[in-house]
Amino acid sequence: MNSLNTYLFMALLLFCIGLLGLLKRRSLIGMLISVELMLNAAGLNFMAFNRFLAPDPAVGQVMVLFIMGIAAAEAAIALSLILALFRKIRSVNVEQARQLKG
Amino acid sequence: MTPAAPNDYVLGLALLTMGLPLLAFFLVFFLTRRSVGLSCFISLACSAVPLLCAWSLLLGHWRMPVPLLWEVVWMSSGGATATFGFLLDPLSLLMLTIVTSISFLVQVYSLGYMAGDPGKGKYYAFLSLFAWSMISLVVASGLLQLYIFWELVGLSSYLLIGFWHHKFSASEAGKKAFVMTRLGDLGFFLGIIVILLHLGDLSILGLNQNAALKLGPGLLTASALLIFCGVVGKSAQFPLLTWLPDAMEGPTPVSALLHSATMVAAGVYLVSRIFPFYQASPEALAVVLAIGAVTMLLSSTMAMVARDIKQVWAYSTVSQLGFMLMGLGAGGYFAGVFHLTTHAAFKALLFLCSGVFIHHFGTNDFFVMSRSGARGLKAPMICLSVAGAALSGVWPLAGFFSKESVMGVLAGLSNPLWLVVGLLGAAMTAYYTFRLLFVMWRPCESAEDPLHGGGHGEHAAWAYWVMVLPLIALAVFTVFLGWGGRGLEAFLRWHQEGVAEAHHGWLVWASVLVVASGVGLAWLEFGRAGAAQAGFLSHLPALERLFARRWYLDDLYRLLLDYVVYGFFSRLFTINDRRVVDGGIDGFCRGTAGAGWLLSFLQSGLLQFNLFSMVLVIALVGLYFLLV
Amino acid sequence: MTPVMWEYVRPEAVAWAAFIFLVGITFAGALIAVLPRNIIYNVFGLATCILGVAGLFIFLGSEFLAMMEILIYIGAISVAIVFAIMLSQPLHLTIPPTWRPKLYLSFAVSAAVFVSFSIIVVRTPWEEALLRSDDWTVLRLGRLLLTRYELLFELISLTLLVAIIGAIITAAALGSGRGKEVK
Repeated sequence: MNSLNTYLFMALLLFCIGLLGLLKRRSLIGMLISVELMLNAAGLNFMAFNRFLAPDPAVGQVMVLFIMGIAAAEAAIALSLILALFRKIRSVNVEQARQLKG
Repeated sequence: MTPAAPNDYVLGLALLTMGLPLLAFFLVFFLTRRSVGLSCFISLACSAVPLLCAWSLLLGHWRMPVPLLWEVVWMSSGGATATFGFLLDPLSLLMLTIVTSISFLVQVYSLGYMAGDPGKGKYYAFLSLFAWSMISLVVASGLLQLYIFWELVGLSSYLLIGFWHHKFSASEAGKKAFVMTRLGDLGFFLGIIVILLHLGDLSILGLNQNAALKLGPGLLTASALLIFCGVVGKSAQFPLLTWLPDAMEGPTPVSALLHSATMVAAGVYLVSRIFPFYQASPEALAVVLAIGAVTMLLSSTMAMVARDIKQVWAYSTVSQLGFMLMGLGAGGYFAGVFHLTTHAAFKALLFLCSGVFIHHFGTNDFFVMSRSGARGLKAPMICLSVAGAALSGVWPLAGFFSKESVMGVLAGLSNPLWLVVGLLGAAMTAYYTFRLLFVMWRPCESAEDPLHGGGHGEHAAWAYWVMVLPLIALAVFTVFLGWGGRGLEAFLRWHQEGVAEAHHGWLVWASVLVVASGVGLAWLEFGRAGAAQAGFLSHLPALERLFARRWYLDDLYRLLLDYVVYGFFSRLFTINDRRVVDGGIDGFCRGTAGAGWLLSFLQSGLLQFNLFSMVLVIALVGLYFLLV
Repeated sequence: MTPVMWEYVRPEAVAWAAFIFLVGITFAGALIAVLPRNIIYNVFGLATCILGVAGLFIFLGSEFLAMMEILIYIGAISVAIVFAIMLSQPLHLTIPPTWRPKLYLSFAVSAAVFVSFSIIVVRTPWEEALLRSDDWTVLRLGRLLLTRYELLFELISLTLLVAIIGAIITAAALGSGRGKEVK
């Protein structure tokens, strides 16, 4: 419970679950949720280092706060994009958004 | 013999001589081409001033002690420097005078000959370019400069031979002249490179003084022979002699210029320019002698059956050039140069006279001219006869003396064969020249109606006299130039006083006899009253055909072209082009397109597919760095 | 419950239990957020997972961040996602099953990343800093945000502002059919 590696592995597992969702989900909203999971994993990582290694515990928290800010901004943009896309192709399925096919 | 620097006066004169024709070319070609009168005036003025300069230089430096050298460094690379400038010594001064004189006279003559031609302005521009290239070639101080102007001479003669480019044969002839001379120039260029690599010095004085000491005998002979390739091309020697007769397609004044003072003379001039260099290699001189002899015989036989007046003179030019080279090859520096000088005078005269007839009657066939009343044009007829006699070597005209000195050199050789060849050539020259003259003087009785029209018979009198005046000037030279031989010899042989070429008393009589027999044969067949006007060759049809077809040289070239160049190289190159070059490019394009097609699968528009690749690469790179 | 019982229950054991519980809901939530095909389940999974992570933050010593986590993720982002679902995805439409190779491939790639990063985690010799302060107060956090990280703080605020404006414009203008319509 009180070891760095435990937390790191948890963060890694969380990250990989997010990655799995990002790769597998076809719903754009599902992908967005997965990205949130991955961001959380990053935050968890920061907190773990903060707790076990860092000289100043405030720094890691500041980083996590920033990550949250970024996550909020990202969610806002992504959701609006999803809405815009949905109005165009009447779907949020990423496999149907293939206008960039070469 | 260290050269001296010219004083300001000489420098000014020389630069004026070298610069004005170029100025005329640019002015006429780019500005005044449309206005004919102004173009002619500019060109003539820029030709007359160099004429005066050249004469004053020649007279001012008669019996000069040391050559004058003026150079600027163009570029310097490693041990080799390329310089531009001029070298004034007796040879270049003499040649400079010849070139400027002939080119001025030809320009005057062209006023009448080219009257009414729509391209007259352009024609004068090209004449100026021609004169400029030749003048700069003559005074060149180094081989590189000489080579550059050598090529410019080739270019301007191409432009002038093909001047009536709307005529297919003219443009073909220009092309032929250019390509064949280029073939020889390749050898010349290689020779220059060999010299540059092994001697590091391209200046003519250095070459003449040091080459024999610094180059090994093999290298010396090789470079001399390579340079001689250029001479063969330029002076139309065997085996590259057929371009010159075809070059008759150009306007006749151009032929006069081409045959007497510029272009073909450049080849002989080059050999005499670096004559000490050639003398250092007896093998090379032997080759020069042999090539000259073969050329003289071949082209004389061709001249014996030609019916085109300009063709006859063209063959005779080739044979006389061969004769000069024989003289040079036999070691007679003065003999070769002297014959070059006199030949320039009488050959220019011959062509200019022929030009008057051609202009008047509108034909090149002298049988037709004669029937149309060529005898009526008194002044050209007399000039033509004088020049023809000089060409045959009749005493006391210029040709007699110069031929005599060449014969003297040939007689000095240990092998009598060369002298026999020389005498044979002289006999043939006399025969074909007087054949033409007799035909012109005595029109065939069985003539059909006199041919009129087609020519410019109704021309203004001024045009006729503008054309005749240069003839008279040249005729004066032809008559009196021979007597200046002694003085000229002393002038040219400044550095080896007292070395006179051996004179053989019997030789004079032998050559007179030979010439007389040639003339006599011509008289028997063409000149005497009631003569059939058919040469003895008409009884030997096979031989006649052989001569008329130029010994099948052209057919040989055709065969070579067809089988070797087109049949082998072209096919090879075509295959190379289709298979290797085209195929390579096609393959490359197809490869690119295919790769693009393959890669376009990556651009599937599937976002997650890209994500797959990205993440996979990150994971693999991470693994790689961890495991290595 | 009797006080005697409490004496037998050791605080470490409680902490362990709580930790295991939090880990459990974190990963259960994460799996729910990823695996089911119904998007609403996913959102609930995300919320659950966030709760677990917030709990872990408490374990890691920062109650403030745990609160912020819940506030931002559950209070804002999840709600926004639910709104987006309501605005876009017709829930009654069935989604066709995932293409099998893609499924396997995504598992494989995720596994590869997991292995790769695990090796990093295991191999790296983590070292503690020599001097460590233990000032975990929010006060210090606020000070730092307004002094040393002032610029970053402003930047993140600006980013948020721009993101919000951009989101409004994107959703309003691009989506309203004024952009080019694509089939």
